Amino acid sequence: MRQRSWARPAGVAFILLWSLVPLYWVLNTSLQTNAQIGTKPAHYLPPTPSLANYVTLLSGDGELASSIRQSTVNIFVECAVSTLVTVIIATLAAYAFARMTFRGKSILFYAVLATMAFPAYTTLIPLYQIMSSLGLVNTYAGIILVYVSGFLPLATWILYNYMSSLPIALEEAGYVDGAGRMQVLRHVVLPLARPGIISTAIITFLFAWGQFLFPLVLSSDLSTQPLTVVIAALQGRHVVPFSLMSAAGVLAVGVPAIIAVVLNRYIVSGLLTGSVK
Amino acid sequence: MVDWLPYSLIAPLMIFIVGLSLFPAGVTLVESFFKIQPLDPPNRFNGLENFTTLFGDPAVRSSMANTGLYVVIGVVLSTVLGVVMAVTLQKNFRGRALLIAVLILPWALPGVVEGIVWSGIWDSNTGLLNSVLSSFHLISSYQVFLGQKQLLTIFLIELVQVWQITPLSALLVLAALQNIPGELYEAASLDGASPWAAFRRITLPLIRPGIAIAMVQAVIATLNVFDQPYVLNGSASTGASLTMQTYFISFQNLNFGEGYALSLLITVATLVISLGVVKFVYRPVEF
Repeated sequence: MRQRSWARPAGVAFILLWSLVPLYWVLNTSLQTNAQIGTKPAHYLPPTPSLANYVTLLSGDGELASSIRQSTVNIFVECAVSTLVTVIIATLAAYAFARMTFRGKSILFYAVLATMAFPAYTTLIPLYQIMSSLGLVNTYAGIILVYVSGFLPLATWILYNYMSSLPIALEEAGYVDGAGRMQVLRHVVLPLARPGIISTAIITFLFAWGQFLFPLVLSSDLSTQPLTVVIAALQGRHVVPFSLMSAAGVLAVGVPAIIAVVLNRYIVSGLLTGSVK
Repeated sequence: MVDWLPYSLIAPLMIFIVGLSLFPAGVTLVESFFKIQPLDPPNRFNGLENFTTLFGDPAVRSSMANTGLYVVIGVVLSTVLGVVMAVTLQKNFRGRALLIAVLILPWALPGVVEGIVWSGIWDSNTGLLNSVLSSFHLISSYQVFLGQKQLLTIFLIELVQVWQITPLSALLVLAALQNIPGELYEAASLDGASPWAAFRRITLPLIRPGIAIAMVQAVIATLNVFDQPYVLNGSASTGASLTMQTYFISFQNLNFGEGYALSLLITVATLVISLGVVKFVYRPVEF
């Protein structure tokens, strides 16, 4: 389309402002003291930029610092393990669905895809009851099992599409050389599918990092609560100064923000493989 | 002879899907019709009683109205903004890849923390919006934006969710845009069509599949909104959503039966509205 000269610059400016102003603002307030953010009008740049809020959050033996530290460990464990388990299970299943013929294949595949049509919270209460009866409430295992079950359908779908699009000739060459199906998976399919596997892993990790309602229900204390739950609880109590809340917010968005900017190609291709069909 | 290899490869997946998705979904469906209160046993079948209680509950009814507004505002805004962003990115230009990285940033962040980030903008004492509006003398004193007027509260909360879901809408529309052959625009330009006419007659009809998928993801997200109103407005009735009510009923009042019934209603509404969007917006396109 022939665009009028102002159209694209205006669109570019809009995307930049829309995405970055809120993030700039939270960064700006996190570098000020609580007295400084209370001035009217606000400081649009920190007058005396200081990392004091971050130091308060991360070091020291206080209750606040230790809860931020513990919940950061929790969120990393829960995200990393659920990503690893999801990607392994989804890769094996996607290979079977994409390349093998077996009885009941289409029914089983549709059953997996059908679960994507339900909103995630449909199963919130029964999953709590199941974890409760297994004694897994407030354990890493309980949270990870629920995450994996939620992320598997999309992960399988992305990897299925990715593997189906790979040229089959290389796999056939492997069979001609006398390799078995698992050897072909390991030495031919997995290396070719690497970009798809990386996309799936990144998207799964980001989904896990963003969880709130499931861990709010499934974890009851600091032994398993992820950073998201702890930060929301701090906000709700209104006792933590807002400058400190901002620093906590920056910590919680820092990891996914860096992943999104650095690895955005994988995210875009994964999301489009996963949603357009 | 049965070939067991494919079955063993999909077995772990199927165990998760059956055990932790299909079975729990079935539980929600069945137990919506039971009285289940852990503090007041025994459980018993009670027909439609959970549903009639829910529809008679003023808190549930106001959260239905709130959620309706979240859906309408969220779906319209995320779709319109998504199309604007996608059209901006339609042609290649210097810095486009970097702009896409910036574009998807809000999608990648946790909704609950986005609520905290935006509370720094809406805040009544230290917020950016108050500061900017009073610098331009548009308000004489700092205002309380959230929790006073229902429509304003919902609009401002939903804007935070729109911030999160619009990047995916933009990407989906962008993918549809990239399939449009450039010759169509050249032909239109030769015929003297204005850019706006070309957008309405060529672009818009041909990106309908992308718009439909974008709208479906927005319907699912907005009908199930929880993080943003929970963080920005607490349990206040000016902004509480249906999913928040489900949480309060199930895990604060410990009335699982009614919680199941409300989850079922949200699920059915999500499926029905999503199918409606597909029926009215989706048109298959062939080039």
